[in-house]
Amino acid sequence: MLLMNYITCIILIVLGLYTIVTKKNAMKIVIGMGLLDYGINLLLISVGFKAGGTAPIFTISELDRTSFFVDPVPQALTLTSIVIGACVTALALALVIMINKHYGTLDTDKVRRLKG
Amino acid sequence: MELLKRILYILFYPGLLYCFVGGLVLAGIDRKLLARMQKRVGPPIWQPFYDFFKLLGKETIVPRNAAKRAFLAAPVIGLISLITVSLFIPVFKFSPFSTYADLIVVIYLLTIPAVALIVGGSASGSPYAGVGISREMVAIISYELPMVISLLAIAKKVGLELNNGIMTFSLSQIVEYQAQNGPLFTKLSMIPAFIAMLLVIPCKVGSLPFDIAEAEIEICEGPLVEYSGAPLAIFKLNHAIKMLVMTSLFVTLFLSGSGTGILAVDAILQFILSIVVVFFSITILKAITARLRVEQTLRFYWTYPTALALLSLILVYFGL
Amino acid sequence: MTQHLPILAIITLFIGAFIVALIKEKNEVLRNTVVLIATFMSFIFTLMMYKPIIGEGNIITYWMGNWEPVQNWAIGIGLEVDQLSLFFGLFISLSIVLSALYSFKYIEKETGKDKYYVLFLMMSASVMGFIFTGDLFNMYVMIEIMTFASVALTAFRNNKPEAVEAGFKYIAIGSIGSSLILLATVIIYAQFHTLNLAQIAGELHNNYTITTLFALALMVVGYAVKVFAVPTHFVAPDAYMTAPSSISMLFSGIVNKAAVYGILRVLYVVYQSMNLPSVQFMLIFWGTVTMFIGVTMALAQHDFKRLLAFHSISQIGYVITGIGLATALGITGGLYHALNHTLFKGLLFLCAGAVYYATGTTDLDKLGGLAKRMPQTALIFIIGAFSISGIPPFNGFVSKWIIYQASYEAGYAPVTIIALIVSVMTLASFIKVAQSAFFGQLPKEFKNVEEVPLSMRVPMWIMAILCIVGGIFPSSFTKYLITPAANAVMNSAKYVEVMMGPEFASKFYNNLGNAPVIDYKLAGYWQPIAWLILFGILLLAFTLVALLGGFNPKHFSYSDEEDAKYDVFYSGESAEFSHVGGSDLFWGLKYQFRHYFDLMHKIHNGVVNDYALSVVLTAAVVLLYVFTFVR
Repeated sequence: MLLMNYITCIILIVLGLYTIVTKKNAMKIVIGMGLLDYGINLLLISVGFKAGGTAPIFTISELDRTSFFVDPVPQALTLTSIVIGACVTALALALVIMINKHYGTLDTDKVRRLKG
Repeated sequence: MELLKRILYILFYPGLLYCFVGGLVLAGIDRKLLARMQKRVGPPIWQPFYDFFKLLGKETIVPRNAAKRAFLAAPVIGLISLITVSLFIPVFKFSPFSTYADLIVVIYLLTIPAVALIVGGSASGSPYAGVGISREMVAIISYELPMVISLLAIAKKVGLELNNGIMTFSLSQIVEYQAQNGPLFTKLSMIPAFIAMLLVIPCKVGSLPFDIAEAEIEICEGPLVEYSGAPLAIFKLNHAIKMLVMTSLFVTLFLSGSGTGILAVDAILQFILSIVVVFFSITILKAITARLRVEQTLRFYWTYPTALALLSLILVYFGL
Repeated sequence: MTQHLPILAIITLFIGAFIVALIKEKNEVLRNTVVLIATFMSFIFTLMMYKPIIGEGNIITYWMGNWEPVQNWAIGIGLEVDQLSLFFGLFISLSIVLSALYSFKYIEKETGKDKYYVLFLMMSASVMGFIFTGDLFNMYVMIEIMTFASVALTAFRNNKPEAVEAGFKYIAIGSIGSSLILLATVIIYAQFHTLNLAQIAGELHNNYTITTLFALALMVVGYAVKVFAVPTHFVAPDAYMTAPSSISMLFSGIVNKAAVYGILRVLYVVYQSMNLPSVQFMLIFWGTVTMFIGVTMALAQHDFKRLLAFHSISQIGYVITGIGLATALGITGGLYHALNHTLFKGLLFLCAGAVYYATGTTDLDKLGGLAKRMPQTALIFIIGAFSISGIPPFNGFVSKWIIYQASYEAGYAPVTIIALIVSVMTLASFIKVAQSAFFGQLPKEFKNVEEVPLSMRVPMWIMAILCIVGGIFPSSFTKYLITPAANAVMNSAKYVEVMMGPEFASKFYNNLGNAPVIDYKLAGYWQPIAWLILFGILLLAFTLVALLGGFNPKHFSYSDEEDAKYDVFYSGESAEFSHVGGSDLFWGLKYQFRHYFDLMHKIHNGVVNDYALSVVLTAAVVLLYVFTFVR
């Protein structure tokens, strides 16, 4: 039963959004962005599950009518999404380092020279 | 042949010569009436002509700080667009150039003289001009709203009958409607729009109580402070022609009809109606009120004339 | 050859990015040449697609790696270019070429130029890929590359603290938007187990379930975050303000339009929700609120590029309103305004860049009187300002007029009235910028500024000429470009048919016929040629008068002599320099509405958590609305 998967990913997404909205430290906001991404990846993997299926890795000769495997497309999509998440986290962390260098603090209440 | 006739329309009537003579005569009549209402003798009716030709002979000084080309081109652009607008306003069924949607183009071309005044003032580089143009811009914002709503109301009303229910923006169709059903200001749903447009005209023309942009006493005439000689003459001419064009438009929208069919009589009839409209909307208000501040102007236009115009729009939708 | 054109148009830009990354700092001329060739080739390939697609009415489809659909089930990534995609692709690739031309001289003094060009080409390639693709997950990947490159380019000038702060805010809010799009993609996949847009369109026909409605709401909010509609727009002014101007031009020109294209595809082609009044009402309401808040915030700004950013938000409100009207005239107006917006807003951002290049600041309180030293830039700025305010004979007038008419005819009269007021206020804020930056008195520190170099002026002149041409010949633009695109939006059956084969489409659609004909009777607003002839004749008359001595030319000599006759009149006071501009203008208007402006300034408080909260709240409201009203 994948109910546990779905509940977990909903909790992860909501927690990720909550972190971005309420936490004041820029590093915690980056962690929140990551949580949001991982929740959606978990959902993506769970969508392709078929009970009793094997991993979808075959060579041409092994593939026949009776092989029963889980959906391979979400697995490819999840790999792409994980890579994108890693890139976004790297860029966000680079920006956090530069913010610390310029402003001396990571508190978002103080990092706001652009307003109005 | 057609081209020659069109060139004659552009140069004589209702183009350059008519605007020049008619506009200055209208300005002169306005000054004379105002003087009589204030128990003075006042200048002769031909005074604006004397002023125009006097100014043409004066020296044109371009200040050091000014952007020269914009400074000198602004009055000419205003004059050209005003004359183009006057070519599109039909005179009781005679209309030299008429297209499908000329009302919209007329309204949009009428913003060009105001913008030309703003650009001219801005280009002169004077701080008085800077204050003057920001007030002029706020005046434009304030009168656009009721004017546009009344025009939408008129367009819908005429279109309900003559254009299968969609709105129409053709001035010749509006004249045709009035030829069949009587002038528009006799319809119940059009009376609020009539009053709203009557109140919009002084602000567009730049006369009391809404002439905050060109206040002589406060900011030394605002955008026109650095002008002299021929460009100043053309700006004063623009002012007079704007009076003529706005009142002609008002007459066509609300007081038109089938006319007599003879061009000369129709033209004189339209001019006399223009004088009447000038008297009621411009001269009377000029004589009895003081100048409003710019935020009072904005507040006035966005409450009373807007409410009247909206009332008219709602009445038209109910089919009155 | 025509089969391969879409993929070629995308790949040249990616390959260009790769080659520039290899060249690095070694050889500047070679690097600039590679960038120019890559962007130009992409533009040529897009142009070559014009004849088969719009000329003959075909739709080019291309399965990557030749994975054709098996038994009516799509298993590969498909690119599908129809008239709508090509319409967007044409002006987007033109903007990319012009921006590349502009940036050669503009960023010469910065460090890290090769990284700029790599990111620039990646962003351009991802937008072209987004426009031409026909696969749902591919759209998400391209949007992610675009966001990523945009953030890096926003923070490009990383010696300025504001740029880094804006980049951080952009990535925080942008990634929420992208995650919402990914979540919607996942949900659609869970329902249909396919990712091809045409196949999903076929299976969704008249068949909404709860999951698909959920996905629709999330997609709309995700794309709204990318298009910077109110109330998810808070990041846009910061990002546009601190990015280099050639990139700001691309932000407002192609990144926004890609998101608009995304909304169009998802709502009208995949979900076919064009005849649902609830969706129509939602888009129109959203567009109107965006228009109004954008322009009122712009009146109170005193930084040149921040003001332009708020105007960008407001004009996108016009486009969304036009699209939301869902009549043929409305969609034409929306698409035409998207094209015009790229042209005139790009022009204005390039002018802001020229001012920054010459003087080093964009603060309106410090600038003044630049028209005497930079006359061409001032003229181009005036052309752009009149285009955006909708003054004839420029192109803004035409598209705004179609939107006013469409909204009034569809019965939404308040929208027309609000749109007209917004147009007048746009004119007001541009007069403010003209007075503050270009006219008036020149401060002493800018006495020696010079006109910008030629390679920066050429793209500005090209765009200005296109603005003027678009205003004078609107009927040729509509006939050759926009009507086919609007027809493609209204006729999604053909899209499905070409991609998946006729037997598939006819299972779900009753007729594969053509779209309803657009009625241009009332939209033949004016004959611009007649106006131009009139203007010409009158100008001729005036030249005659001037030649006869009407304007005495010998009194025009305003030399630098110290004659007090040529000073500005100060009515006897002894001030030497007083320039009215920047925050001094429109004082009465700002005082009149001070409660509104105070509230707005408090909402735009610069804290990224509040911005994220507004995105989440928007998502909640749209979800509620879609579940209650859309059947």
